[in-house]
This record gives sequence, structure tokens and C-alpha cells, in this order.
Amino acid sequence: MKMQQGFFERNRSVFIFALIALTMPFWFPLIGGYSGLDTKIMVFCIFVVGFDLLLGYTGYLSFGHAAFFGIAAYTTGLMLKGFSDNIIPAIIVAVIVSTLVSVVIGLLTLKRTGIYFSILTLAFAEMFHSMAMAMLQQWTGGENGLTGMPTPMLFSIKMQGDAVFYFITFVAILMFYVAKRIERSPVGLMMRAIKCNQTRLEYTGINARKYKLLTFVISAAYAALAGALMVVYEPFVGHEFLGWHQSGEIVIMSVIGGVGTLVGPMLGAAFMLYFENVLSVDLGEQWLLVLGMIFMVVVIFMPGGFMEAVSRLQARFTQK
Amino acid sequence: MTDVKSDKSNKSASGWSRRDVLKASSVGAAGAAAPMFFTKNAWADGHESIGNYPVKGSEVVFGFNVPQTGAYADEGADELRAYKLAVKHLNNGGGMLDTLKPSMLSGNGVLGKKVAYVTGDTQTNADASRTSARRMIERDKVIMVTGGSSSGIAIAQQYLCNELGIIFMCGLTHSNDTTGKDKQRYGFRHFFNAHMTGKALAPVLSKEYGKDRRAFHLTADYSWGHTQQQSMQEFTEKEGWGTAGNIMTPLKTTDFSQYLAQVMNSDADVLVLNHYGANMVNSLTNAVNFGMRDMQKNGKNLEIVVPLYSRLMAKGAGSANIDGVLGTSGWNWALQDAGSQVFVDAFVAEYGFPPSQAAHTCYVQTLLYANACEMAGSFYPPAVIKALEDFEFDGAGNGSTLYRGADHQCIKSMLVMKGKSPSARSSDFDYLEVVQEVDRATANYDPSIFPGELGPYKPA
Repeated sequence: MKMQQGFFERNRSVFIFALIALTMPFWFPLIGGYSGLDTKIMVFCIFVVGFDLLLGYTGYLSFGHAAFFGIAAYTTGLMLKGFSDNIIPAIIVAVIVSTLVSVVIGLLTLKRTGIYFSILTLAFAEMFHSMAMAMLQQWTGGENGLTGMPTPMLFSIKMQGDAVFYFITFVAILMFYVAKRIERSPVGLMMRAIKCNQTRLEYTGINARKYKLLTFVISAAYAALAGALMVVYEPFVGHEFLGWHQSGEIVIMSVIGGVGTLVGPMLGAAFMLYFENVLSVDLGEQWLLVLGMIFMVVVIFMPGGFMEAVSRLQARFTQK
Repeated sequence: MTDVKSDKSNKSASGWSRRDVLKASSVGAAGAAAPMFFTKNAWADGHESIGNYPVKGSEVVFGFNVPQTGAYADEGADELRAYKLAVKHLNNGGGMLDTLKPSMLSGNGVLGKKVAYVTGDTQTNADASRTSARRMIERDKVIMVTGGSSSGIAIAQQYLCNELGIIFMCGLTHSNDTTGKDKQRYGFRHFFNAHMTGKALAPVLSKEYGKDRRAFHLTADYSWGHTQQQSMQEFTEKEGWGTAGNIMTPLKTTDFSQYLAQVMNSDADVLVLNHYGANMVNSLTNAVNFGMRDMQKNGKNLEIVVPLYSRLMAKGAGSANIDGVLGTSGWNWALQDAGSQVFVDAFVAEYGFPPSQAAHTCYVQTLLYANACEMAGSFYPPAVIKALEDFEFDGAGNGSTLYRGADHQCIKSMLVMKGKSPSARSSDFDYLEVVQEVDRATANYDPSIFPGELGPYKPA
């Protein structure tokens, strides 16, 4: 017996996320957080949700998502600098440019699967990184990064402090809702089918490549939006935004949180950034070592990440 | 089975009633509106609040943001040692507090407040350095941030601090851009720069190697390398040298053989390595392995020049390789003036080995900031900035020094250094010897040769 679920029930996780996110300025300082870090966590929530659509649903592990993040960040920076300090045209152009790049990269890389796909995406991202560092340093600022942007404005509102936090949080909630819609849509079904067995899917007469490309581009658009918002949050673009380290960090966030759950990667992103910026201070120079050990423990004992821990706990309580 | 499931979902559907949603959204709306009620408008001793001014409580907090992991971690560790020593001296007296002139430092904190500090890890990564600086500013309420062990990172933090109204005292950064095109009202640099290196080094080079030389440059392909190369070319050409060529080498290069081959095939008889850190260690080692130091070109010995020297680099390249190679440094622990001596003694007593030039500049920067607060009589940033601008002082290890107001660059004497041969070394820290102390007048330059604006005293 199938029942039509209500709007609130279907989107319960979106509402819970919205509640937690919007109240963040009140409870986050109590655990050692601070204004600024909460905004960065929201930016990365957008990034990982998009990444999870690709990795968690189609099973394609991209090691080059920093390319889309970075290209959008540079585009936003240059738009703010050269066109207008209004963020709306900057974000739109940045997402369009980055998405177009993703179409080209997607067409070239999605012919391969598994490790070959990962390596190809990594190679493309590194290519962009090298270009930003050498050929294009006139525009990107190279090693110094792109600096000297005006204060980003949302029409007449300065994008600083709480204003930028609530703006980015609003976008993050919206993008999480969109991801949930995609998950439930026919496209979401195709994505899961690709992960399950691509060959079988193709035998049913469905063009799997079309759906793979669509997912890749959607995921890149999320990364691009995050990259653009990163510059709105802080008017600075470092060449690190394009680097393999950035791509790797997203993978770690997703794995540690639990791929294929949308919520898990966001938990992972929050945990990683909180650890890197708050707990690392108490741990001193050894913080990277501790982080590595946490990652290993999670992967060995909870391959499903934090979400597996959550569902195990849930199962234990419901059994009793 | 299906019945149970639908039952459950029914239950939870009712668990989220319309009223609950209304409640949740009103909390959200309250959250959105709340910041409007808490806007800062505190006034203290006649000044409006800027950044983390006014300072509340009995402590004032400094933020030390240095690379603790990554390529420059060794340098960062030495910087942190110097910062901790500076805090100790500010709170308890000692060190350069006895030699700095003029000084209003009492050795009993700053403006009656004990100095405390927080540390952060820049990871030799501009983005991470900004996030870390932001934590110090937003959470730990630091009044000043200092650190950085490469120009890109120093510039990135300088922009952030300028925007937030926090004074940034640069650590080791040598690019012309830091106080050139990227100079900021809230950023100050004590360390010397690439332009000063060229100005000081070129006359020594022409004296040592003659006026009819042809130089080939290998340059690290980023801001610091570019400015270093331009400055070296400009000043060696003024001495009558020719420039045979310049190759930009990617920052990640570890094997420089292909570039060195081009140098050997050219008519150049001097090789200038505009490299720093691991780049320099590798390129110099490659050149030595090619036998370039024993090579004859145009009837003269082929010479190698390393414009910016550091002890850690000299150690990495090995003293057999750097023996006789010329370069510049901001400071060296072997200097005999009173300021250097008290600093070295205090550092050795604390840690058991002498400080690097990075440690020196960081230590002096902390003291200068504290002294400027005392002179201004307040932590109010615009007043502190005005106290630092055009501040003349002595006894900090570089003789009489001017903190130039026009670009926030310290104008002071600097050192031309030469690598010591293995047999001449006296300790594990003794890699370089001072060839010449270049005086302040020679190192000085017109700040208007670089573009850029300092901007207003009050952040936008």
C-alpha cells in the first residue's frame, strides 16, 4: 500500500538541515566555532552535496572537482574586479563558464570508468592548476592568488559577517532541496541504475552516457556555485582552489561522512573544517596525523562513514 | 510488512505537523533577525571600535600564524620560537627591550595588559592561512596578526587583515609586491625585499667578478621570483653586465637539468638562481653535479649567484656546494651589535641554538608593534599605524632603521653573504659569512617606483 507523502514529510531532512544551519550563529560559538567558519562550512556543504550526486549515486569518483570550483572562483573574482561588485552577475557567469568546461571534460572523461576516470579528471584539474600558476598568472595572480577585489555586494547589502552567512546558508538549503528532488526524480533512478549495473541498463535501451554526462554536469555546477560563493564569502582566490589537494579534501569529506546519503558528506564537510580550524589548535603540529588516523578508523570500521554510525545507532534503539 | 512500514511513516508524518513547521521557521526567522540587534557600536577612549579594538579584559592577544606543516614548516617553527620569546620579553623584560631605542616598552605587558597569544597553521597555503587568521580574529579576538613564511601567503593575509581592521605584521616575505603593488594600510614589513637585494648585491658582484659579465637567470615562476629577477637584471645591467637569458621554471620543478643545459650552451658566465627553499637547493645541487662551478666561460670562471640566502637553504644544499656562492640576507646571528647579541643570547639560552633571519624579523616585528601601541597610548589601530609610520629606531639588529610611512617598508642595512667552505665552519649553524654590511642609504629606494595604494586608515 503506497501512500502519497506530504511535502514536509518528504523533505524532513531539508527542514532539519535548515533549522540546524540557520541557528548556527547561536550554538556554533559554544563549541569553539566562530563567525566565518560557519559560512565556509555552508560553502563546502554545497560542494559536497553536488559531489555526492556523482560519487554516491553513479559511483564515478572524480578527482578533479577542484577544477570547477576553482574556475568559478577565478571567474567570480575577475567579474567582481572588472565588471561590477554585484555578486549576482558574477555568480551567474561563473557557474555558466564552469559548467561549460565541465561539459567538455565530461565528454572526454566519461568514456572511461573506475580508476581511469579518476586519473583523467585529476589530470584535467592539474592542467588548469598549472595554467593558473604559469600561463594565466597575468589574470590569476599565480602563486599570490587573485586579490584586490571590492567588497562583494548583493545589490545594496555588503556581503560581510551575518549577511553573507545567511545568504550562503539560504543557497545551501535551496541546493540541498534541489539535490533531494534530483534523488527522487527519474534521473535519480537512472543514476542509481548506472551505479548498480551500467551494462544491464544499456541493454534495456537506455542511453546511459547521456545520464552520466548530465550527472557530471550537475555535480560540476554545484562545485561551481560553491566556488563562486567562496569568493563572495572571502574576496580572495588562491591557486590552491584548483589544486589536487582541494579535490582530495572533497573526497575525504564525502567518505568520512558517508557517500550516497547527501546528508553524510555535509556532516563530513562540517567535521573536517571544524577539525582543521578548531581542534587542530589544541593538537598542535600533529593534527594532520590525528586526522589521518580518524580517517583510517572510519574507513576500516565504518565504511559507510558517519551515516553508518547513525543508522547503526538507530537500529539499536528501534530494536529495543 | 507493508502495513507496518506505512504505519510508521504515517506516524512520523504526523510528528511533523504544520504547527511544528511554523515553530521551526519562526526560530529560523528569529535567527536571521538576531544579528541586527547585536551590531557592534562600542566606544572607548573616544575612538569607535575597529577590528578587535577596544581590547576587553586584562590581557591583549596576539595571533601568530606560521607554517607548522608543509614546505616551510622548519622556518615556521623557528618563527614561532621567536614569537614566544618576544611575548616572554614583553611580559617580563629582557632581550631587545634593553637595546631598542627609542622604546616605551616597560617589560610589564603592553599598556598595562599582559600579552597572551594564539597560534595557527598556515600550512604554506594561502587559503588555509586566511581561514586560520580569521579564526584568530573572530574567535580569539586578537588585536594583531603576524607571521607568514612566503610572499603569497603574507599578501593573502595582509588583504584579509586590512579588510577586517586588524594590523598585520609580515614575517618572512621578500617579494616587492608585499610593500609594492599589494601594499595595504594595515600591513607592515620589517624584512627587506627583492629590489633591495638587487641594489645591494649588484655592486658587490661587479667588484668580485668584474664588469664585463653576462648573466643567465633561472627564475621561480611566481610573484617573488619575477620581482627578484627583474631587480637583479636591472641592477646588474646598471653595473655594465649583459643578460644572456631568463627561464621561468615552474615552482614544482625538482630536476633543473634541462634548464641548466641551456645555460651551459649560452654565452653566459654567471648563473643567477632566483629560487628559494627547495627550488634553490635542487637547482644549485644540479648545477654543481653538472660541474658548472669548475667550468670556464669566456675565459672566466663560471659563477653562481643566489640572491636570497637563508640558513635552512644553505644547510639543505650542503656547505661544499655553497662554498663561495654570494647572496643576501636580512640578518645573521653572527652580527656583533648589541641588539643582535642580546637577541641571540636570549634565544640560545631558551632553545639551545642560534635563531634564523626569519626568527629575527618576527621577533622585531612583535616588539615594534607593542612599542607602537605604547607610543599611541591605545590599541586603536589608526593611532598605532600612525605611530609605526615613519618611526625611526635603532638597536634591533640592523642599525638605525626607518619604518617608511609611504609604503610600510623598513629601510635598514642588510647583508651580502657568502657560503662558508666545510673546513671554515665552526658549528652546525654556521653556513654563511658576512661579506659586507650594506648600509641603509645604499639599500634605500624611492617608494613611488612601485604602483599600489595604502588605502584609508579606517577599513571600509
